[in-house]
Amino acid sequence: MKRLMTSKGLFGGTTLAVLAILVLLPLVLPSATLATEIVIFAMAALACNLLLGYGGLLSFGQGLFFGAGSYLSALAMIHGGVGLVTALVIAIVAGALIATFVGMLSIRRTGIYFVMLTLAFSQTGYFLAYTLSKWTGGDNGLLDVPRPGLSLFGVDLVDLKGAHAYYVFVALIFMAVYVGARRVIDSPFGSTLVAIRENESRASAVGFDTRHFKMLAFTLSGAVTALAGALYGMLINYVPLDNIAMAMSENIVIMTVIGGTGSLLGSLLGAGTLVLMGEILSSIWPRWPLLLGVLLILIVVFLRGGVWGGVESLIGRMTRKDEA
Amino acid sequence: MPPLRPNSGCGMLNLYLFQILNGLGLGMIYFLISVGLTIIFGLLNFVNFAHGGFFMLGCYLCYALLQLTGQFWLTLLLGPLIVAALAWVMEKTLIRRIYHLPHTFHILVTVGVALILQESAIIVWGPIGKSIPIPEALQGVVIMGKFAYPKYRLFLILFSAAIGFILWLLLERTRFGALVRAGSESTEMVSLLGTNIYKLFSLTFALGVGLAGLAGVLSGPIRGAQPFMGPEVLGIAFVVVVIGGMGSFLGALVGGLLIGLVQSLMTTIWPEGASLMIYGAMAAVILLRPYGLFGRA
Amino acid sequence: MSEILLETQDLALAYGGFRAVDGVNLSVKAGTIHSVIGPNGAGKTSLFHCLTGGRKPSEGSIFFNGADITHRPAHARVGIGMARSFQVTSLFQNLSVRENLRLAAQGCDGDKALAFWRPVGAGKAHIATAERVMERLGLAAKANTAAGDLSHGQQRVLEVGMALCGEPKLLLLDEPTSGMGIDDIPIMTHLIAELGKDHTVMLIEHNMGIVMTISDTITVMSRGQILVEGKPDAVRADERVRAAYLGEAAV
Repeated sequence: MKRLMTSKGLFGGTTLAVLAILVLLPLVLPSATLATEIVIFAMAALACNLLLGYGGLLSFGQGLFFGAGSYLSALAMIHGGVGLVTALVIAIVAGALIATFVGMLSIRRTGIYFVMLTLAFSQTGYFLAYTLSKWTGGDNGLLDVPRPGLSLFGVDLVDLKGAHAYYVFVALIFMAVYVGARRVIDSPFGSTLVAIRENESRASAVGFDTRHFKMLAFTLSGAVTALAGALYGMLINYVPLDNIAMAMSENIVIMTVIGGTGSLLGSLLGAGTLVLMGEILSSIWPRWPLLLGVLLILIVVFLRGGVWGGVESLIGRMTRKDEA
Repeated sequence: MPPLRPNSGCGMLNLYLFQILNGLGLGMIYFLISVGLTIIFGLLNFVNFAHGGFFMLGCYLCYALLQLTGQFWLTLLLGPLIVAALAWVMEKTLIRRIYHLPHTFHILVTVGVALILQESAIIVWGPIGKSIPIPEALQGVVIMGKFAYPKYRLFLILFSAAIGFILWLLLERTRFGALVRAGSESTEMVSLLGTNIYKLFSLTFALGVGLAGLAGVLSGPIRGAQPFMGPEVLGIAFVVVVIGGMGSFLGALVGGLLIGLVQSLMTTIWPEGASLMIYGAMAAVILLRPYGLFGRA
Repeated sequence: MSEILLETQDLALAYGGFRAVDGVNLSVKAGTIHSVIGPNGAGKTSLFHCLTGGRKPSEGSIFFNGADITHRPAHARVGIGMARSFQVTSLFQNLSVRENLRLAAQGCDGDKALAFWRPVGAGKAHIATAERVMERLGLAAKANTAAGDLSHGQQRVLEVGMALCGEPKLLLLDEPTSGMGIDDIPIMTHLIAELGKDHTVMLIEHNMGIVMTISDTITVMSRGQILVEGKPDAVRADERVRAAYLGEAAV
């Protein structure tokens, strides 16, 4: 099962598949809001994948960045009266800064200690949000989060109140993030991350200061995750405390793994699977997370490549038959 | 745990003494949870993300067994044993299959187990938490001069201290303990000694998880049982281990007590921020000592 | 050619009370192949760890090209012209031979590789280096094979090749023939001799036979200290060296 690094063009291969999925989602699904939710979580999973699938870093603190993005963008809009673009930029910058700080403290440790530290820091964020209830609404969540229209330099361009308009906006951002992530992965930085995942001491021996690379991965991941968080707050006009809870970190990791680590398209599939599972099953049986638990165990025992890994190996098996 | 304050106006000093004792009790609970996590990690190099879930199961078993039997002592014996037995079966059927995989997969599987435990608890006992009465024999207060302290909480401190001591004897003075400690250094060595390493793994896993179950049973009468308590407890166990240093018995004890005391004292000073301060304490420790108080580099 | 490239002064590395390296003064002349040999536990590997930055020496200093590098971290020794191989093969197992070597070449640029906005293809120099080293190692036919799928001997060769990509002044090789089959050893011996023509090479070896043919200078270590140093013939003839190795055989 040795998989080689292949460099495909930025717009070839899976990029077209992603584009097709983005176009089809709102047509196939009953509501554009559901489609938007999938795309937003796909963005968060993609950022997690950059760490886990390429850098081999399992962060259990992604919920912190997601929640921080939601809260800070919402607060900036509510109290600062800022517009859409500014709010998103605030989320991105804040996500990057928080991730840099958490990364600095966590990356000094490797392996399981690293995971534990990221989890502990995300819990810090949770209790901070809980404690600062004057600002965040605490348990009740932050209500009345606006969804301003897109305007640049004071000129209103597009109104995003409609579910479909907002979907298109989010899908375009996702596409940009996706193409950007492809570029990052095919960059010297991305290839070095893979090298660190493969063999950190060798990566260090050939001259890389591996901490710097992990830090940058963390910063980028935090920025994208916070962006997703901000978009989510605007989607549901509300920031629940759950956005920054351990379960959020857990869900983001689960989506990433279900989709398949090391494949950006997989992140979209993973987010789609989990969001749809929740949407469909929760109305049938509220205890559906039990099935999710079983699914996680089955994936690890039988299908470690995730959904996309399974599809890939199936394609691989079929083409190998053709050759034979 | 909900703050419990002395009801008589016995002065600030007594209030602090009261909170210090509360902190000790809380700290000992945290110690039991974390030392279980640490023992498992030390020998098996395995991180159990379902640890908080097993603590929750302990709380619910405390509730259920008390309902069923009305016998606290029996509950205190059976509860942890049931949790340990469950862990033992789980180790044999599931965990053993994934030791050879990277940590990420250990985490995913145990996160799955935690979800199953949480949802099962809701199916069996409903989504709303249960409060658990304090056993009759341990109701009331112990009076020392002007100072009064609830009997059950005092019992909790003494009982968990006794368990801690027995555990220490077990790890330091018995063949089992020697094997666990040797195995933490090198599992090959233990295999060479002719010990069935798998049996040792199963026992250790059951012991570590059983300790979380015991902590759950013990704290049941104070904090009750809620289905969603797992993640919070897991987070605290991680904080204790990060502070104390992974794989260290002493670290789990000191870290647990430190966190218990910080949380309990903060409850008097700044109740809303008590949980937050736990994490503040952790951040302070790892800034100064990245490997924890007793951890090895 | 008598310029000294690598020098240690009173170098010591202690683990608790045990001094694995105990006051070593070593000088490696530029353009030579310098081997450090010794029986098990002589302190070769500990010395190597100090030289590569894997361990901080307890005492003494290390100079490279005249600069004090005693406290330089491992990764920061690559940029100034030091490269190492590992005793236990340490490659990027799932990546192709070409990618392994390209990454090794990219490594000498250190943090320049943080550029996440540039495509890998823009680093033409690194790709060229990888191709050149592949030719030299005789691995060109295996360019797209995953490193983990190479034969053991080829992996050992690639292991040495990784160190070459940084175009180092000094190659530090840690038991390059370790674990190699008897048939593969001459290939490695030949490769090192080849490399010695345009690099300074310092290698650690356990096996005395291998180094005799290729080394310019041999340092024999025993119990953390330098026992004997000299040309291969002189070392071969030295009674103390025989005693040290016989001592090991007796154990």
